[in-house]
Amino acid sequence: MTAEQIPEAVRRPRTAARPGTERTTSAGTTPTPNSIRTGASRSTDLPRGSMTVRRRRAFYMFTSPWIIGFALLTVGPMAYALWLSFTTFDGISPRWRYVGLGNYRELLSDPVTWDSLGRAGVFALTSVPLSIVAGLALAVLVNRPIKARGLFRTLLYLPAVVPPVGAGLIFKQLFNRDSGAANGVLHVFGIDALAWLDDPYARYVILMAVLWGAGNVMIISLAGLQDVPRELHEAARIDGASAWRTFRSITVPLLSPVLLFQVVTGMIASVQTIMPLLIAPVPTPAGVTAIPQTNYMYMMHVFAQYFAMGRYGYASALLWVLFVLILIVTGIVFKATSGVVFYNVDPEAKK
Amino acid sequence: MTPTTLPPKSSHPTAPTPPAGVRIRVNRLVLYTVLVAITGLMLGPFGWLIVTGLKTTPELAASPVHWLPDRIQWHNFADAFTQIDFLGYARNSLIIALIYATLVTLSSAWVGFGFARLNAPGKKALFGVLLGSMMLPQMITLFPTYLIFAKLGMVDTYWPWVLWGLAGAPYLVFLFRQFFAGMPRELEEAAIVDGCGYAGIFWRIFLPQSWPVLAASFVIAFTWSWGDFIAPMLLLSNDRTTLSVALMTSYVTPGGLPVNNLLAAGSVMYVVPILLIFLVAQRGFVAGMSTTGLK
Repeated sequence: MTAEQIPEAVRRPRTAARPGTERTTSAGTTPTPNSIRTGASRSTDLPRGSMTVRRRRAFYMFTSPWIIGFALLTVGPMAYALWLSFTTFDGISPRWRYVGLGNYRELLSDPVTWDSLGRAGVFALTSVPLSIVAGLALAVLVNRPIKARGLFRTLLYLPAVVPPVGAGLIFKQLFNRDSGAANGVLHVFGIDALAWLDDPYARYVILMAVLWGAGNVMIISLAGLQDVPRELHEAARIDGASAWRTFRSITVPLLSPVLLFQVVTGMIASVQTIMPLLIAPVPTPAGVTAIPQTNYMYMMHVFAQYFAMGRYGYASALLWVLFVLILIVTGIVFKATSGVVFYNVDPEAKK
Repeated sequence: MTPTTLPPKSSHPTAPTPPAGVRIRVNRLVLYTVLVAITGLMLGPFGWLIVTGLKTTPELAASPVHWLPDRIQWHNFADAFTQIDFLGYARNSLIIALIYATLVTLSSAWVGFGFARLNAPGKKALFGVLLGSMMLPQMITLFPTYLIFAKLGMVDTYWPWVLWGLAGAPYLVFLFRQFFAGMPRELEEAAIVDGCGYAGIFWRIFLPQSWPVLAASFVIAFTWSWGDFIAPMLLLSNDRTTLSVALMTSYVTPGGLPVNNLLAAGSVMYVVPILLIFLVAQRGFVAGMSTTGLK
């Protein structure tokens, strides 16, 4: 009964179907000749149960590319990294050995680990709120009925389109000690040139590079803002609510899923940013140890252990510690916001 | 603007009393001043990159900083092409980015549809894993993946980007899932009654409706790939590598000092294609945002 419905669904996808897709879904649903039907007359009187099964099969057909990819390209390598983290493997020496938790013990007692972790935490706690507030403020500004609104949106979003390498190249020029515009501005105010790309200023440069891309938060918040029904705003204004009050009590709650998404993805992005490397004097694996101390964040530490030191086992242990920490922090964020975030994913339920 | 965007003024009723009218005018003046100032700040870095690319090397060392070049050095842009094999690297970047962006957009939409509109036991857990994998720093997988790819003989080929593309990207899957979840149920119910399979519903009904998201996803994925530094640096040899890697490591004097004016000129030509793609795609992007769905 239900098996007859599936082949139809399997056959449909043209270019979108991956080889892997069909492999999984065809498992229990070998197409039979009588499965080819002209659907219309058949499916009008489908019983409810068969619909559910059909949906179930279709779900796995649709999600299988990701499931297979995740298993092969994420779980596999991660398991491999976990295994490496218990060894002294360095990729060259044939005499690597199993050391159990030795790498973990070493990293816990290494002050560099703690310092770099602290810097990554401070960077996340400053860059994420700043870019969300900036992006949301921009979104509210360009959501107002102003002239050339589309132009402003485009121009403000433009920096967010620039890839990290581009942003790194641009900020290196902007904050160059001799030829940078930043020191040009300081000179106008009679302040001596600063070595922006060195300690202790380099951390502000990467913070500014993050803020430069606030258009990303803006464009996603803007899409959310436009989903806020205008009647709600108008009703609130008629009831005498101020603009700020309307924003706080209507806009922010309706935007809260978008904002939570931004917090979480922003946090992850900040932890694994390679901007410190990109604005470093020598942005190569060999030069990673020469990056300014204030920018030597956890990810740079991992990177250095991999590519400058070649300590794959130890670096893998560092990575696993980071991953577990991220899971814990994200879990806390979701738990803490579970009562606050307002989801409206099923429009039908609202009607 | 296209006629599909929201009418600019009708949304806010004009104030009835003159004092309020004056206040609104002052408010607007402040609003425009703030907007223009912020926009200037955001665009400034682009301008500086271009200006730097048009100076001579001695001028870059001048103190105080010259705001504009004494004599515009257009030839820097030509020299940037010849100092490194710019076009060769750009071609490599382009091939990789096109492969990856096309594949990952289609596969992510496909997977996102499953998570948004279909149900099965284990969906919740799988979705949790999807979100969790978004939180995974990509570098945790990159290095062991590199070792595995090396064993399979895929280093210095573009196969890794094909595989990454086919697997979909959690962030894009999430983006599509959010979009598809907001579409009215009647759309697919009508199609099911008409005897359309789920793949057909996806391909004929949901995908055409989602072209703003498709454009966004393609632009995002293209930018990721074009701007990626670590993966091509690890996986590709010197002459098969991308422009990102070449820009970061080439453009140095024989003594190893950066040639900043040529680097800036090269950077301009590296960033401009990304901006152009965005500008072409965003017409649909912006218009689509106010017209998607059936309302």
